[in-house]
Amino acid sequence: AHAALGSKRRKKNWMKLIYSSDLTPEQILRDGSTSPSGDNKMDEDEDDFFTIKSRGTAAAGDEELDMTKEKVDPKELKQWEDEELLDSIRGLFITGDSNA
Amino acid sequence: MAQPITVLNFSGHQFLRHRLVLSILSGKPVKIDKIRPDDKNPGLRDYEVSLLRLLERVTNGTVIEISVTGTAILLKPGVIAGGSVMHECPLSRSTGYFLEPIVMLAPFAKKPFNLTLRGITSDDRDLSADLIRTVTLPHLQLFGISEGLELRIKKRGSAPLGGGEVQFLCPIVKQVKTLNFVDPGKIKRIRGIAHAVRVSPQFSNRMIEAARSVLNRYIPDIYLYSDVYKGEDSGKSPGYALSLLAESTTGAIHSAETVSQPGVTPEDIALQASRALLSEIRRGGCVDHQHQVLVLLMMVLGSEDVGRCRMGEPTPRTIQFLRDAKQAFGTSFKIIPADQADPESSELLFSCYGTGYINTNRSLA
Repeated sequence: AHAALGSKRRKKNWMKLIYSSDLTPEQILRDGSTSPSGDNKMDEDEDDFFTIKSRGTAAAGDEELDMTKEKVDPKELKQWEDEELLDSIRGLFITGDSNA
Repeated sequence: MAQPITVLNFSGHQFLRHRLVLSILSGKPVKIDKIRPDDKNPGLRDYEVSLLRLLERVTNGTVIEISVTGTAILLKPGVIAGGSVMHECPLSRSTGYFLEPIVMLAPFAKKPFNLTLRGITSDDRDLSADLIRTVTLPHLQLFGISEGLELRIKKRGSAPLGGGEVQFLCPIVKQVKTLNFVDPGKIKRIRGIAHAVRVSPQFSNRMIEAARSVLNRYIPDIYLYSDVYKGEDSGKSPGYALSLLAESTTGAIHSAETVSQPGVTPEDIALQASRALLSEIRRGGCVDHQHQVLVLLMMVLGSEDVGRCRMGEPTPRTIQFLRDAKQAFGTSFKIIPADQADPESSELLFSCYGTGYINTNRSLA
């Protein structure tokens, strides 16, 4: 299980994803796993992505605005009610113990 | 023989601002098509037209062509003139929408900018006047742009009716410095600005108290300022907001902000802002994530040397900017994990070789 977790957390190859792939920025951030297996297979998946997305935007009248602030995700903020998480970032402050 | 003029080609209404900025700085014309072609109301929005007007006024010799349907534009950039300009922003977007691209252009103008913008000064879409003053401008200082750099919030204006006014003063530089910012340091203090206009002034204090309940556990050096605007200076609509920033020992700044929404108490607004600040701190890096594009742009323009900066994961805007900047300036970044040893860390090290951009507008003067 540990090994699987490790591979899941494998670092993205950001340069390859940004400069030599056709993935949209959102796709890069969502999964963007640079699986070394056949690129062709990836392409097929992408095609699926594109068709679904274009249908989606045509149907929904809601347009994606060009804005700097990102929508706040209430779930992401909710997690800060957890004491453990609150304590986990103490090390980033001068008052925190650096080797915690 | 004259160099063939390359035209930058883009599609879609997204990322309009940084694309126009790249065109004006690089001197390459930009053509953007497919601007909302399938929309019920196709083409440019009023605020986009307003932005084009503003860019036309702060430059000299810029030619803008908009297609009949408004779904395509062509901009042939002129020189960045700067000087004293007044612009009335439409109420569909805040002054931040307009200031963000101007901040990127202003240091390279012929004359120092003295730009007055009227409209909404804080909303939940773009950087508020407070964040631009306390976070964006310090990010510019990293590149040696500091003397006389100022944003004055003369009047506040909340959505929907606005009525605010800000004045942006920016010095001109010949060239920006190379950035070498790889140590994020540790957070040493937290500052904040709470403002409430046309509502009970108690709202500011209630926000400050709620924010302290989250942030006090980390650090004693917290100063949250209640910014009071009265009468005429408080705009035409009621509203309040809390802007927070955390500063590190090495000068890294992270920020978060929440603006009032109908039916949400000041306490909840403050909790949201405080928690968003914690999320931002956890993202790590040496620059605020909403300012990645600004910092990367200045790195591209930096002197002919290797600039380096440690950042958290890029935002979608940042990724698109990296692609567009490559098209405009031919610069690509080297992006590697900042902590090779730590598999948990998502921080990245961005480095590039600066183009040695020289402000030619200035030397022509």
